[in-house]
Amino acid sequence: MLGAFRSALATPDLRRKILFTLGIMALYRLGSHVPSPGVNFANVQQCVSQQDQSGGIYGLISLFSGGALLQLSVFSLGILPYITASIIIQLLTVVIPRFEQLKKEGQSGQNKLTQYTRYLTVALAILQSTGIVALAVRGQLFQGCAVQPIPNQDVFTLAVIVITMTAGTAMIMWFGELITERGIGNGMSILMFTSIAARIPTEGQNILSNSGGLVFAVICVLGLLIIGFVIFLEQAQRRIPVQYAKRMIGRRMYGGTSTYLPLKVNQAGVIPVIFASSLLYLPQLIISLTQGSAVDGSWQQFVQTYIVDPSSYGHIALYFALIIFFTYFYVAITFNPDERADEMRKFGGFIPGIRPGRPTAEYLSFVLNRITLPGSLYLGLIAVLPSFFLSITGPGGQNNNFPFGGTAVLIMVGVGLDTIKQIESQLMQRNYEGFLR
Amino acid sequence: MNLFLQILLIVASLLLILLVLLHRGRGGGLSSLFGGGMQSSLSGSSVVEKNLDRITLFVSAVWIISIIGIGLLTKLGG
Repeated sequence: MLGAFRSALATPDLRRKILFTLGIMALYRLGSHVPSPGVNFANVQQCVSQQDQSGGIYGLISLFSGGALLQLSVFSLGILPYITASIIIQLLTVVIPRFEQLKKEGQSGQNKLTQYTRYLTVALAILQSTGIVALAVRGQLFQGCAVQPIPNQDVFTLAVIVITMTAGTAMIMWFGELITERGIGNGMSILMFTSIAARIPTEGQNILSNSGGLVFAVICVLGLLIIGFVIFLEQAQRRIPVQYAKRMIGRRMYGGTSTYLPLKVNQAGVIPVIFASSLLYLPQLIISLTQGSAVDGSWQQFVQTYIVDPSSYGHIALYFALIIFFTYFYVAITFNPDERADEMRKFGGFIPGIRPGRPTAEYLSFVLNRITLPGSLYLGLIAVLPSFFLSITGPGGQNNNFPFGGTAVLIMVGVGLDTIKQIESQLMQRNYEGFLR
Repeated sequence: MNLFLQILLIVASLLLILLVLLHRGRGGGLSSLFGGGMQSSLSGSSVVEKNLDRITLFVSAVWIISIIGIGLLTKLGG
């Protein structure tokens, strides 16, 4: 393991890539602490220390921005606009025929879609930064905070803040692309990983100071167990044997090999979790917009108690159901059994015992449906785990996005595995022993 | 001075957004995110891209300097 690290750093090409990635990550974290112009840093700090770090309306956004949101820094939006834009474009490929056509077109079409995603990101960034600035001015971002985070409230100053935050988001997007291009791994997910991982020390310290050493130790052990479990299931796959027929092309003999088609247990990755939590964020948003009329017995009260509150059983059940739905949905989008069966037939491959063509497609979708069920159940379970902790420790628990469970762990492990695999494949080119055996 | 820096910041921000959008998008989309296929960007960066990178770096330096400048002014002034 350590030897693998050494050989990774000993290869000049790889070392440059890794150092480049680390440098961008450092820049990203640095920018998350630079306050936007016009924001009074001392006041914001005072307000943040009054608030719960992770609770409140903006739990998800603040998770993805590594706590930069509450500091109203230049990078306070993080990569969430980029993620949202990607999700929207991805969903639109199902709805809009033109997008579907572009997606099927291959590389050039994909580039065009990426370009649309980038435009949409900037648009969303303008929207979200305006929203956040408005919330901060009206005092809803920090409820019950005496001092003003933005002392000078004329339109010009506010516009400067909005434009700066938007430019910050554009810059983060560029960072991500630079990592993808010159560094290691997928830039967007690496940045997401950075901001989530950056919260762990703070959260750990919170737990340590609030609940004492024993609870902290138990939570650490539990966290490690969960990480191990997640890695186990992320790596799990069903291997369907595929036999290729021998073919003569010219004087060469091709094929005749037997290989397998890997179907991962969790084919969809963490995308269902992100989709579901983004959807569940909507009722919270509606409530915070219509606040002021929250009397006893009103519908806001109902929504608040049964849907928004993360420790309520309504919330847990809804989240779970949404994740299972989105897992199936996303697998259906990304894996097309008919196409796969067609491809296999074209190259003279078949699954032993099953005729090529339609029966193969039916078999593949049968296996896929079966294997996605435990995959979706596992995703749902891991994601609602922190909510269960909340309902055990009683209502009013604060660690909404508990870093050792749920979305955060899924994303971190997913990104980590992916990056390691990329480093390993780079090492393999030079015949070194990798990290994973 | 403050007003000047703010205007500089606005100009730099707008330029930055524009320049980033001018870059050829790479590695976007969710398909490659989280355990998707590995895509290799074999195409080397062209001269245009290199110059664009340089200009973007310059503009972002201006952007950061003006932000820090405004921050210092607010801190010293208030």
